[in-house]
Amino acid sequence: MSTRYTELQLDALRELANIASGTAATALSQMLGREVELNVPRALALPLADAVDAAGAPGETVTGVVIPLEGDIEGLVLLLIPLDSAQTLCRLLGVEAGSEFGDSALSEIGNILGTSYLNALAAMTGLALGPCPPHLSTDLLGAIVASVLAATAGEAEMALVMDSELDVAGEPCSMSFLLLPTLGGAVDLLAPLGLSETAA
Amino acid sequence: MGELKVSRARDDELVAIGLGSCIGLAIVDSTACVAGLAHVVLPDSQGVNGPAPKFADTAIPEMIASLRAVGANKSRCRAVLVGGARMFAISGGLDIGARNDAAVRAALALEGIEMFAAATGGNRGRTVRVMVGTGEVTVQEAGGESITLLGPRRPDSHSRPTRQLKLTGVRT
Repeated sequence: MSTRYTELQLDALRELANIASGTAATALSQMLGREVELNVPRALALPLADAVDAAGAPGETVTGVVIPLEGDIEGLVLLLIPLDSAQTLCRLLGVEAGSEFGDSALSEIGNILGTSYLNALAAMTGLALGPCPPHLSTDLLGAIVASVLAATAGEAEMALVMDSELDVAGEPCSMSFLLLPTLGGAVDLLAPLGLSETAA
Repeated sequence: MGELKVSRARDDELVAIGLGSCIGLAIVDSTACVAGLAHVVLPDSQGVNGPAPKFADTAIPEMIASLRAVGANKSRCRAVLVGGARMFAISGGLDIGARNDAAVRAALALEGIEMFAAATGGNRGRTVRVMVGTGEVTVQEAGGESITLLGPRRPDSHSRPTRQLKLTGVRT
């Protein structure tokens, strides 16, 4: 199964990611009461192994929050939080990192980021999109990302990754936010833009 | 994901870091000092024309052919499975781990390869290491101890230069 994306398609997806993650950053900023900086989002079409590498070092321990999508697009949202950033987030929210409350707070951050991102995406594309309840795991980055990719893009040669980096101002705290559509999900996302024809 | 590495260089170490639902399949012929490691992503290729090591049904025949090409004897080969976890308790598509585990075992049985040891299932990520020189295979969970699944070759073979090569071996 060959899956290629044109530069035009990736540019359009990057623009969607840019606006949607801007909305998500604002929501996180309101939740934390801190300024949140957004780095330039990427839209990448990568072989699976490269997609894992693009997410970070596979042996690093991170907290991953997975939010499956509900609605017109098949896929999921993945929030990756490095250990020290997870501790900072829990401190800012007044809960103990690694505890049940800490995990619950990080899941809620995933939920808020996911919901605002998907709402923005839905408003721009006219698609019906919503989040399912979040699931959390603190483990090796490679294990988290590869498992999620296997479930979404596993059968395709290339995985479409739309990611953004969020930094909490004045704190050693950053996280990656990724939208990982399935192969069909990527086509459905491009269709409202009039760009669903994949390159040969 | 979907890679295969085969080696007969005694100072090589084959590593797959951070296996979740995927399976790290190690096949070792300790006598020939040959080992391979495949990163299997999905249970069934369903006729899809992807890289062979990515799918359990196509990975094992490809791996055996590659191992034979560098001197392995199929009847001496022993397999070790690592991974196949369920990282997120989401129903449906995300429980690929258990299906991968079953598919790899079935494919090994079909080829008559001995399944020597396995560290599969559960909900933790794992890292597998294969020391080509000794045939040793270890598994480690995040923040956990390294556990030997397939021991190094018999002690009498340790008096040979291979062990020294291992001690100074390149670690990736």
